[in-house]
Amino acid sequence: MARAAAVGAGMTKFGVHDTPLQELFGEAAFGALDDAGVGPDDIEALYFGNAMSGQAENDTHLGPKVASHVGMAGVPVQRFEDACATSANAFKNAVAAVEAGIHDVVLVGGVERCTPETGKDTAAMTRVFASASHRQYEQPAGLTFPGVFALLTKRHMHEYGTTEEQLAHVAVKNHGHGALNPRAHFGKETTVEEALEAPVVADPFRLMDCCPFSDGASAVVVAGDELADSYDAPVDVTGVGHATDVVPIADKETPHVTRAARDAADEAYEQAGVSADDVDFAEVHDCFTGAEILASEALGLVEDGEGGPAAAAGWTARDGDVPINPSGGLKAKGHPIGATGTAQIVELTEQLRGEAGERQLPDPQRAVAHNLGGDAATTVVSVMEARR
Amino acid sequence: MSNGLTHAEWSAALRDGRLLGLHCEDCGTTQGTPKAACPDCSSRNLETVELSTEGVVYTETTVNVPPEGIEERGYRVGVVEVGDARILGRLAGDGFAIGDEVALSGYVEDEEGYAAPLFEAA
Repeated sequence: MARAAAVGAGMTKFGVHDTPLQELFGEAAFGALDDAGVGPDDIEALYFGNAMSGQAENDTHLGPKVASHVGMAGVPVQRFEDACATSANAFKNAVAAVEAGIHDVVLVGGVERCTPETGKDTAAMTRVFASASHRQYEQPAGLTFPGVFALLTKRHMHEYGTTEEQLAHVAVKNHGHGALNPRAHFGKETTVEEALEAPVVADPFRLMDCCPFSDGASAVVVAGDELADSYDAPVDVTGVGHATDVVPIADKETPHVTRAARDAADEAYEQAGVSADDVDFAEVHDCFTGAEILASEALGLVEDGEGGPAAAAGWTARDGDVPINPSGGLKAKGHPIGATGTAQIVELTEQLRGEAGERQLPDPQRAVAHNLGGDAATTVVSVMEARR
Repeated sequence: MSNGLTHAEWSAALRDGRLLGLHCEDCGTTQGTPKAACPDCSSRNLETVELSTEGVVYTETTVNVPPEGIEERGYRVGVVEVGDARILGRLAGDGFAIGDEVALSGYVEDEEGYAAPLFEAA
């Protein structure tokens, strides 16, 4: 028995949008509702994610604003903020609500604008993002988010011999995947040579190791297990794990292990009654190439220390043993913070239905989504399966 | 009401050239920053301890794209192992690698007046 099912999915193209937040969200929300074949009046509650539009656009209390825009004013809206794991946390709570019978059908999604369309340039947005690092014990040193994941990745390189070339292979792979995704921010392939020649942002990360600032929205209609049979194309949610780790980085026991991801994956796999060996593909939080390598190990898709060699060998490419980020991932698809978690759920839904178009993987039956927030101190791992 | 280490006390010590941490009397874990309870065992039985001002680089990076408010580019940020604890700070100078020995040499301050440790090669 599934915990719940995704019965409709929608998202905007990720990229640069000169469009207010509610209009962006509306496009994703109506995409999901139309896909499910329901109207706004069928939705009993909205689980909504937005991480930082208060800082970026002076726009808060977005729950009723976006609900009003899509004809849902009146329903309870709960807004989530968990840095980059914002809408995965919303998804977790949406699944729990329909599983518990609190609601029958809910909409979950997120929206964010991070590009200069907000009026914030790179330095200003870098500061907004850095607000997710510890205010007293990290921000005063000038730590940025590329810096956060650089610290984790550098230690991983030291422990296991992971190389900059292996990191570049992650970027090349995800750009290749993104080139097949019409909703990706970047539709262009790249090469290892090009990636290794890009300017350094925070070593070992060069520009091509970093996801872009993106604007976009995503949304999913979630229904209870039994009710889902009355929809055209339900996809089962069989596990959602959620864990946190200590902040700041220096106080984590072993930072590059990303403990929260391992705990969340254990919980999600246990709920689903599966192991990492049963996973056909994964969408993981590759905000930086090194983060994908850490995630592939934390999810148990590769052995510890093998994330870099696996990427370089093509093992995680779309034609490899366990494809990672067939959507292009954050790296190529883009990363509008509060929209990223449910965009992963959109990709899982479309792939498991066999409706992913040019980027469709051959008949996947089970997939996992890994969405982390901050310095990986929040991670949500979801397992989804094709409904039989 | 807190009988634990506060940010104000931690900062005052840093400005005075000392690093304060917390030792858990129940599980033995040492942390480099103030908390109200032990992150490992949840005990509130935490003793403020003086950490070594000498240590080794646990991990480090060079930030070339700074946030608004910092004009400098190419500054180093590192996590330093000081005894049983770790602490994040700036590394003064170039050419640091994991395992290098460093010592506390002062502090840097952000625009709000929050201080971070500054380490240099020992």
